[in-house]
Amino acid sequence: MTDGKRKVGVFICHCGGNISDVVDVNALRESAAAQEDVVVATDFRFMCSNEGQARLQRTIREKGLNGVVVACCTPKMYEDLFREKAGEAGMNPYLLEIANVREQCAYPHRSDPARATEKAKALVGAQVAKVRRLQALEVKTAPIHEGVAVIGAGIAGIHASILLGNLGHKVTLIEKGPTIGGNMARFDKTFPTLDCAMCTLSPKMNEVFNHPNVDLLTYAEVRDAVRTPGKFTLTVLKKPRYVTDACIGCNRCTDACPVSTPKSPIKVGSEWDVGLSLRKAIYLPFSQALPQRWTLDADHCFYFQRDRACRMCERVCPADAIDFSMPPEEVKVEVGAVVVATGYRPFDASQIPEYGHGRHPDVYHGLQVERLLSSTGPTGGKLVKRDGTPPRSVGIIHCVGSRDEKHRPYCSRVCCMYSLKYAHLIRERTGARVYNFYMDIRANGKGYEEFYQRVASEQVGFVRGKPTRVTDVATSPEEEGKLTIVVEDTLAGVNLRVPVDMVILSTAMDPGDVDGLLASLHLDKTSDGFVKEYHPKINPTETAVKGVFVAGCAQGPKDITDTIAQAGAAAMSAAVFLGSGEMTLNPLVAEVNPDLCRACDRCTEACEFDAVRIDPEGLVAVVDETACEGCGKCTVVCPTGAIRVRQFTGPQVVASIDALAPKAVAP
Amino acid sequence: MTPEPEILALCCNWCGYSAADQAGAGKIPYPAAVKIVRLMCTGMIDPYYVLRAFERGFDGVLVIGCHPGSCHYKSGNLQARELTDRLSHVLRTLGIGPQRLRMEAASTSEGPRFAEVATEFTETLRRLGPSPLREVA
Repeated sequence: MTDGKRKVGVFICHCGGNISDVVDVNALRESAAAQEDVVVATDFRFMCSNEGQARLQRTIREKGLNGVVVACCTPKMYEDLFREKAGEAGMNPYLLEIANVREQCAYPHRSDPARATEKAKALVGAQVAKVRRLQALEVKTAPIHEGVAVIGAGIAGIHASILLGNLGHKVTLIEKGPTIGGNMARFDKTFPTLDCAMCTLSPKMNEVFNHPNVDLLTYAEVRDAVRTPGKFTLTVLKKPRYVTDACIGCNRCTDACPVSTPKSPIKVGSEWDVGLSLRKAIYLPFSQALPQRWTLDADHCFYFQRDRACRMCERVCPADAIDFSMPPEEVKVEVGAVVVATGYRPFDASQIPEYGHGRHPDVYHGLQVERLLSSTGPTGGKLVKRDGTPPRSVGIIHCVGSRDEKHRPYCSRVCCMYSLKYAHLIRERTGARVYNFYMDIRANGKGYEEFYQRVASEQVGFVRGKPTRVTDVATSPEEEGKLTIVVEDTLAGVNLRVPVDMVILSTAMDPGDVDGLLASLHLDKTSDGFVKEYHPKINPTETAVKGVFVAGCAQGPKDITDTIAQAGAAAMSAAVFLGSGEMTLNPLVAEVNPDLCRACDRCTEACEFDAVRIDPEGLVAVVDETACEGCGKCTVVCPTGAIRVRQFTGPQVVASIDALAPKAVAP
Repeated sequence: MTPEPEILALCCNWCGYSAADQAGAGKIPYPAAVKIVRLMCTGMIDPYYVLRAFERGFDGVLVIGCHPGSCHYKSGNLQARELTDRLSHVLRTLGIGPQRLRMEAASTSEGPRFAEVATEFTETLRRLGPSPLREVA
């Protein structure tokens, strides 16, 4: 022992009977008291109560304990609390361990109290053996850098930025596209209230744009993130717009640009209209775009693609704002916290070729229909077929990609409601017959079921069944010139062929294309590809990386209501984190004994977190304690035992194993 | 009567240990001779831990980590899989038998699976009889 005689205290919790009704706590206490170095063993009704904590602290002080085992519920419940209380009482908090006698003894073995008691004795003995070999660990803290970066300027990122800015935090809002607004800016109406989407979004866009505490970086991508104690350094690439601040927004360049004109060899689909209209190479994405800065898309520009000719925009610009030589710019953003709000992409409907998206011109996916219905869309809000005539019948296919083992097993949560919204708007605006092809209607938000009932009463057809295909091959006169949806009505038990003029595919939500970003932030994904939250129920806005928070559809499919709620919660979590001023660094990480290290590089190869490197001067492995996650992979590959994880060293683990081993073996 | 097979369960903090907690919280019974040591990751399991457990008389060693692809530390469970595969050969050579070491995956929510694996492994070991090293002692 480096710190003199070890004095261990064992505290046994009855858990109000949950433990003591099964485990014989008197026998357990006597067994614990007989262990080597145990100077006190006691039991109490509720160790987690104020009185229980006070007993723990009092005993630590009176007996001068330098080791504690609490025999109670799982360490996931109160390990942190008991360590904190032990620390307050003057003992090093990392000299405390939990023996999990509730979840591992009293609960699963309650039909056999004798065996449960014997097992509890073994578990307490194992933790005493471990505690006797624990080292006091220094609790290191690092100051948290000021400022927060919000990645993604859709409704989630905008809302979180406004709240954080209002709380006085310096916010850097980073958006990949040329404008803020995200997917919501494309929407026509929002369910269930049928508010105009832009009327609710635009004020928030303006608020964040003009917010004194929010720095906006648009047309900018996070290329790398480096984590150091309390700080993230983001490398942000600002793509060149080739249009300077001098731009006065007169639109003359767009008018003059020859790209996408009828005779032009270069045509480019508008991202804003989801490919339903063409745009010029120099453009403003939409009239309320923020910033109101035109952008020149070099990939589709005659100047860049055809031997530096053209220059039409430069010629007509009255403000000399065109700069073909504008370089990309790299900016370093240093912040204490990051909010990931990277949103979603619509599922690519052409992955289900049976439905004919991309083959039949009048098969649209969900986001395209938003544009067709919007007054700022390619048809000025008139729902028409590609030939310009209004449809007389429309089929809406739900769950396209969602709830489908072959594509996306999850429910995308918004499709039922937006399908109902389309059904209502199409009935209202065109009078066309509308059929919904659904598996189940999931209308589970405030006012959603009521909206469903309203739409159901508007002479909208509902067919329960998943269509097998959409075909333009007619088998009867009424199918001529139509798209026929082939489906089994599973309620009536009949096969149907439903001819319609237009088909809408209610496509699933896919995670954004953000693998690189997640990798550089060391964020994990859940099996559905969305960002993994710290805990899906009780901690949905934090991540396993301290200081990184997640908001909106980046974490999983959700509607605008839930996105706003989660963005607010993520902003709150980030503000609490930033406001705490300093963060505790996890001391249970790897450390190197330089005398044993041969600088063989095996630990650096095993490490998934770039947390170990070889110092070329000293020829010894060095652990970056802020990057090390403490997984211990390195400890197994090390040929000399030079690297080990604190509180999980070989002797400590082996002591536990020995203590648990059958008594038949002599020591 | 043959004694209950003694099993050491080396569980990772994030999946295996949490699954055991879930089994407990759900009051799902499993044999009491299954004893758990909590490690941060199955990737930190040294081959010595397994050999030591047999040396000290355990009849079987159960390694329970996260499912492939969902390791909290990305790939620790894969390292553990490699290790247990290699150790199985060693156990065969030593005459302990490869069936006495098993690696399984159980996610946080899979309490029933933990209990099922623990019960099933106990049955396997019961059929095999006590570990030769336990008898020697």
